[in-house]
Amino acid sequence: MMKYLLFKDTKKNMEMLRKDLPARYAVEADLKDCPAGAAYVTNDKKSMIYRLKIESISPYKDQEGLFKKRQTGLKSILELSLVEPVEPLPLSEFKVSGKKIKEFVDFTVADLEKTEFTEKKSYSEDVPKEISEIISIASKKGISIPVSVAEDLAKYRSEMGKDGFNKLLERVYQDLETKQIDPHEAVGIIAAQSIGEPGTQMTMRTFHFAGVREMNVTLGLPRLIEIVDARRIPSTPSMTIYMKPELEKSEEAVLNLVKELENTTIIDVADIVTDIEQMTLSIVPTARKMNERLVKHTDISEALAKVKGITVMHDEEGKEIVIKPQQESFKRLYQLQEQIKVLTIKGIPGIKRAITRKDPSTEAFIIYTQGSNLKEVLEVDQVDSTRTFTNDIIEIANVLGIEAARNAIFNESERTLSEQGLEVDQRHLMLVADMMTFGGNVRAVGRQGISGRKSSVLARAAFEITTKHLLRAGLLGEIDPLTGVAENIIVGQPITLGTGAVNLVYKFNRK
Amino acid sequence: MTGGISKRIYRIQFALLSPEEIRKMSQVKVITADTYDDDGYPIERGLMDLHMGVIEPGLKCATCGGKVDECPGHFGHIELAMPVVHVGFIKEIKTLLDSTCKSCGRIKLTEDEIRSYREKMESISLSTSDPEVIGLMSKRITEEAASRTVCPHCGTQHSKLILDKPTTFREEGIKVTPKEIRERMERIRDDELIFFGLNREVARPEWMILTVLPVPPINLRPSITLETGERSEDDLTHKLVDIIRISQRLRESRDNGSPQLIIEDLWDLLQFHVTTYFDNQTAGIPPARHRSGRALKTLVQRLKGKEGRFRSNLSGKRVNFSARTVISPEPFLSVNEVGVPEKAARELTVPVSVNTFNVEQVRELVARGPEARDEADRYLAGVNYIIRPDGRRIKVTTQNAEENAKRVEPGWTVERQLTEGDIVLFNRQPSLHRMSMMGHTVRILDSQTFRFNLAVCTPYNADFDGDEMNLHIIQKEEARAEARIIMKVQEQIMSPRFGGPIIGGIHDHITAMFLLTHGNPMIPENVGVHMLSYLDLDEMPPVEVHDGKRYYRGRDIFSLILPKGLNLRFSSKLCASAREKCEYEDDPEDKYVTIINGKMTHGTIDEAAIGSFSGVIIDRIFRKYGPEATAKFIDSMTRLGVGFLSIRGFSTGISDYDIPESAIARIEEISNDAIERTEKLVETYRKGELMPSPGRSVEDTLEIEVLSTTGMVRDESGKIASNFLGLNNPSVIMARSGARAKMLNISEVAGMVGQQSVRGGRLNRGYYGRTLPHFKQGDLGATARGFVKSSYMSGLNPLEYFMHSIGGREGLVDIAVRTSRSGYMQRRLINAFEDLKVNEALRVEDTVGAVIQFKYGEDGVDPTKSDKGKTIDVDYHAYDIEHEVA
Repeated sequence: MMKYLLFKDTKKNMEMLRKDLPARYAVEADLKDCPAGAAYVTNDKKSMIYRLKIESISPYKDQEGLFKKRQTGLKSILELSLVEPVEPLPLSEFKVSGKKIKEFVDFTVADLEKTEFTEKKSYSEDVPKEISEIISIASKKGISIPVSVAEDLAKYRSEMGKDGFNKLLERVYQDLETKQIDPHEAVGIIAAQSIGEPGTQMTMRTFHFAGVREMNVTLGLPRLIEIVDARRIPSTPSMTIYMKPELEKSEEAVLNLVKELENTTIIDVADIVTDIEQMTLSIVPTARKMNERLVKHTDISEALAKVKGITVMHDEEGKEIVIKPQQESFKRLYQLQEQIKVLTIKGIPGIKRAITRKDPSTEAFIIYTQGSNLKEVLEVDQVDSTRTFTNDIIEIANVLGIEAARNAIFNESERTLSEQGLEVDQRHLMLVADMMTFGGNVRAVGRQGISGRKSSVLARAAFEITTKHLLRAGLLGEIDPLTGVAENIIVGQPITLGTGAVNLVYKFNRK
Repeated sequence: MTGGISKRIYRIQFALLSPEEIRKMSQVKVITADTYDDDGYPIERGLMDLHMGVIEPGLKCATCGGKVDECPGHFGHIELAMPVVHVGFIKEIKTLLDSTCKSCGRIKLTEDEIRSYREKMESISLSTSDPEVIGLMSKRITEEAASRTVCPHCGTQHSKLILDKPTTFREEGIKVTPKEIRERMERIRDDELIFFGLNREVARPEWMILTVLPVPPINLRPSITLETGERSEDDLTHKLVDIIRISQRLRESRDNGSPQLIIEDLWDLLQFHVTTYFDNQTAGIPPARHRSGRALKTLVQRLKGKEGRFRSNLSGKRVNFSARTVISPEPFLSVNEVGVPEKAARELTVPVSVNTFNVEQVRELVARGPEARDEADRYLAGVNYIIRPDGRRIKVTTQNAEENAKRVEPGWTVERQLTEGDIVLFNRQPSLHRMSMMGHTVRILDSQTFRFNLAVCTPYNADFDGDEMNLHIIQKEEARAEARIIMKVQEQIMSPRFGGPIIGGIHDHITAMFLLTHGNPMIPENVGVHMLSYLDLDEMPPVEVHDGKRYYRGRDIFSLILPKGLNLRFSSKLCASAREKCEYEDDPEDKYVTIINGKMTHGTIDEAAIGSFSGVIIDRIFRKYGPEATAKFIDSMTRLGVGFLSIRGFSTGISDYDIPESAIARIEEISNDAIERTEKLVETYRKGELMPSPGRSVEDTLEIEVLSTTGMVRDESGKIASNFLGLNNPSVIMARSGARAKMLNISEVAGMVGQQSVRGGRLNRGYYGRTLPHFKQGDLGATARGFVKSSYMSGLNPLEYFMHSIGGREGLVDIAVRTSRSGYMQRRLINAFEDLKVNEALRVEDTVGAVIQFKYGEDGVDPTKSDKGKTIDVDYHAYDIEHEVA
C-alpha cells in the first residue's frame, strides 16, 4: 500500500510551484524518516486538493532557487516533479496504522484506502424471475402491476393451474383499475384529516423505548407534532445503530463499539475541585466511574494536552491532576472550570449514552443512543452505514440529502402512529413527507413553512398573521389568482377540487 | 337563486390607496365629528352622513338611492390637518429612510451597484412570485445601502435614524416629522422602488404617510339603539370622532399661530388616534379605551384571529335551513336514514320551483297549508312560503292556503316542508374527517330528538349522553345529487384513513352476533321465527329436529343476512387474541370463520367479522356487492341483533364478578407478598446494596423494579380471577368478543386495581417526600406510593380511593391538553395540504402546478379502495375464485 505524506498548504503556494516544475520546496517539518513518493495537500484540513510527486527528501540547506513554505524554521526540502490539482479527496479516506484520521495533524504519513463504490443494482434486476415474469405478462396487456402484488400472485401460479391463474390475473387487472384514484380528488385534505383525526386518540406521554426501558424517547402526539414541525433538534434525539453483519452477533465487539461511541467528558469520570487561593483546578478521578467507562488515566492527560492556555502542575497515575490557567484571573479560572467539565475524553460528541439490545429473532445486537451525531457515527468503521439511522430529520437532510429526509419523515411518522396502534394508510404519510420535502429542503407544516409560502394572499391571511400579509400584498401589488381552496371560499365561489374542478354542460337538442 | 351562468372572479389585485384615489372614491368629505342631530337624523357632512349608506329602515342612501340591504355603502374621507404615518408600514418607512439619501432621494448605492442589483431583482421577480424570496433579496440590498453614510450621488452626510417605537423617528435626537418624512419619500425615484420590494404600478412610498383618511361606509360600523332609546356608536365611529376632533383642533392651532409646543402635542395626539384606529394593540402605546374601560376593537382587531373577519366570517359562515338538537339511537332506522322530529321538519324547507309539469302537484301541496296531516293524523309536508318571480315572499297560513294555491304559477318557487326521503346533511362537531358530515334520507318521527342507527356512531364519534348534532337541508338540485352520490352514509362506509370499514357493528351488535354463532347454538323454532320477523327475508333457515322439537341453528340464521356468493375465510378475534389456548382446541376448523357461497359453516362472528374498523365481512361485502348491499347487511345485522338479544336477554351485574373465597384469599396473599417484596427492595436500596441497571441511577432502578413487581401482581390476580370467569359470563363475552371493555377491566373489578401511576411512574408528589401527611417522609413502600390492592368489587379504602383519584386525574388533564394540541396540528395540516389534488395523469399537484408526487401514493390507488393499505388482496381473490359456484 502506498504511503502518502499529508500536509496543509495554501492554494497560492501550490499554484506557484506548479508554474515552475521541477521545483525544490522547503517545509518546516523534519522529514528524514519519511519515504519519498507522493504527497497530498489540503487547504482546509478536510479534503485533499493537490497531489505532489516527491522525488527525494533532503535536510534543509539554504540554497538558490528554493521555494519556501515560510520564512523561518524550515527543516526539509522536497524535490518535486509534479504538482497537480485533484478532485477533493476527503480526509476520511486516509488511514494511519489502519485507523481513520480523526483530527488532522500536519505532516502525517498515511495510507490511502479508497472507498470502493459499487454500483447499486437497479430494483428491477433484483426481482426474482418468477415475479418479473408475472409483471411482464401484465405489461403486455398494458397494465403495470406493483411488485408486491406480483409477489402475492407468484405463489398461486403453480397452485391454481393455468385456467385458474388466468382468471385470477383477470380479477387482479379489474380490481387494479377500479381501485385507481379519481382525478381531482382532494388527496391533500384526505391526508391531513387521516393524520389529524387519530391525533385525538394519541397519548401525550413520553414513553419508554420499546423494549429498552433505560431510555426515554418522545412518542405519541408530541412526536408527531415535532415531525410535522420539522424542528431543528428533536426533543429526544436518538440513533439506532447497526453494526456490520460480520460483527453484529459478537457481544464483545458491540460493547467495544458502545464504549467508543459514548461521549465521555471529564465530569463523567472525575470531580473537579477549584482552589481559589492557589488559582488551580484539581481533577479528581473516580476509579469506579473510570472503570465503568473504560477510561484510563492517560486518556485524561491526553485530552488535557489539547486544551490551550493551561499549565499542568501535577499529573501522576491514580492521583489527582492539578492544572492552572496561564492567565491568572478568577474569570479565566471559572471559564476554565466550565470548559474542563465538558471536555471530551473519548467518544463522539453528542452521543450521551448508548445501550445495546439483542434482537431476539436475528440474535443481532442493535445499539440505541441518546443524542445523535449521524455524520461521525457513520464514519466509524464497525458501523453498518446502510442501516444506521437517527430520528433527527434535519440532520438526515444535512448529511444524506433530501430524499433520505423524505424517507425519514415517512418512517418516523409511520413508526409513531403504528406504535400507538393507529392504522393510517402509508399513502397519506408519503404525501406529507413529499410535500414537506419537494422544494429541496425540509419545510415545516405551518406558517414558517408550507402555509406561509402559499401563492394566495387571502389563504395566507386566513391562516395566521392576517395583517402582515394584507399590508405586504398592498406594497407588492400582489395578485391573488384564486386557484386554491381557502381563497375561493372567502370570495364565495366553488372550489377547484373534486366536483368543483369539472364543468358539465348540457347540450340542448333543439327539435 | 337566479339561474343561468354565474360569473367567476378571476383574480384579485392588492394595492396601496393614493390620496387622490381616496378622494375620488369618497362620496362625502366628513368635517363634523358629530353623528346625529337632536331629532335623531344624521348630520350632513358628519360621520353618519347619508352619502355613506343607510342603516335605518325607511331612509334612502343619498348616493345610490338604495334602501337598507340594497345599498352596499360608500366611502367618505377626512382631510387630516397634518400628515401622520401609517403604523402598519412603519418598518418599510424605516428601511426607505435608512437606505435613501435625504436630500436627493436616490438609493445610497453607486450606479454600478444599482445596475447589477436591478438585473438581479428583475430576474428574481420574473422567476418567482414568492414574496419571501423578493423580500430576502430586497433586504440584502437595502441593508447594504443603509450601511452607507455618504450619498454616492450628491455626497450628503447621513447620520443614524432611530425609530422610537411605535411611530416616532429621530435623527441626532431631533424628531423627524411625518411631514418631512413624506417630503423625503416624494423624492424617491419610481424606478428605484424595485429595490425596496415595492411595486411601482401600485405603490408610492409617500402614500404610507397619510394625508387623507378614508371613512368606511356606515354599513361597516352600524350604530345600535338600545331599548332606552339611547344610541350606541360602533368602536370605529368613536375612533373617527376622535380623529376629526383632534384634526380640527390641530388645524385651528396651526392657522392661528399657536406655540410650536402645542401644535406638536396635538400632532402627536392625532398620530396616536390614527395609530389606534388601525391597530389598537400596537406595542408601546396604551390601547384606546371605551368609556366603560373596555379596549376598542379597531381595524386590525376586526380582521385578526379566530374571532376575526377572516376566520370567523369569511372562511366559515352561519347558514339558514339548519337544525340542531339532541341525538338518540334508533336501531330500526337504516344506516342511511335520520329521524327528524316533526317540529323541526315543519320549519325546514326545500325550495321547489314550479313548472308546467309539476304545477298541479305544487298547488295541491300549497293547498294543504303549513300544518298538513293525513286521515290517520300523520305528518304530511306542507308549504311555509311561496315566492313570486319578483322575489316577494308570501307566508302560507292555514287560512289562506287554498287561496294561495290558486295563485301559484310556473316560474314561482314554493318552500316545501321536509318530507320523508329528502336527502339532508347530518353533522357532528368536531368535524375531524369527511365522515363527520354525511348525507341521510329523512324519516319524520315523533318526539324531539334526531335519531339514527347505532352503526353510524363510529364515524361521527357520537354517543347519547347528551350529544347534539346538526342537520342541513340542501337547497339546490346539484348539491342534492352530490349528496346522494358521494356523501350518503353507504358511500362512506369505507374510511380513507385505512381502507377498511369505519361503519360497522358496535356493542350489542357484536354481543348478539357472538351469542348467535358461537358454538352454533340451537334456537327453538318459535324463538327463531320471532327474531326473523324483524327482518325482511324471502327464505327460512333449515330446520333441525331434536327430541321431537324443531330448532334452527344460529349460524344458519346469520347466513340469511349474508349475500349469496360470498366466499370468505378469516380467523376470529376470539381465537386470534387468545393468548394461551384457543377456545377450539377440539375443533380446529372453528378457529376460522368460513363462509362459502353466503353460508357460514364454521367459526364465531365477533369484532373481527362485523366490528367497525376491523369487520372483514363488511369490508368484503362492500367490495364485492357495493354500498347498497353493505348498508342492507348492516341494517339487517342491527335488526337481527336487537331481535335476538331482546328475546334471549343479556345483562351483566355485580354478581357476575363473584369469585370463590379461595381465589380472593389467594389474591390477597399475592398482593401482600408484593407489598413485602417492595419493602425488601426498599430495604436493599436503603442499605445501598441495590445494583443499578446499566445507564440508570439507583433510584430509577428501584422504581423500575417496584413497578414491575406490582405490575406482575396485577396480571397474576387478573389471571386468578379470570380462571373463574368463563365464556358464559356476560362481561367476559363482551370483552372477548370485542363488544366493550377489555379483560383488564374485568380483572380490575374482580381481582385487583393495582398500581396507580402519574407520568409513567409511581405517585410521589403532594407533600415533601411523601404523598400524604400520615406517611413517613421518604416512605417508598407500596401503599405509600399508590398501590391499590383492593378490587372495585371489594371496594377501595379511603387511602386507595385517594390514590386512584390521582391516577384518574392525569387522564383527564391529558385529554384536555391533547384535544387543543391535536386540534391545532390538524388545522395546520389542513391549511398546508388543502390545495393538493390529483390530476388526470394521477400526478399530485398544488395550485401553481408544482408536482408533489408523480404517481399518487406510488401505485395510484385510492386509500379508500385499497385493501387495508395493500394495493390488492390477492389471497382473497384466490379464495373467492376457488369457491366460486359455477
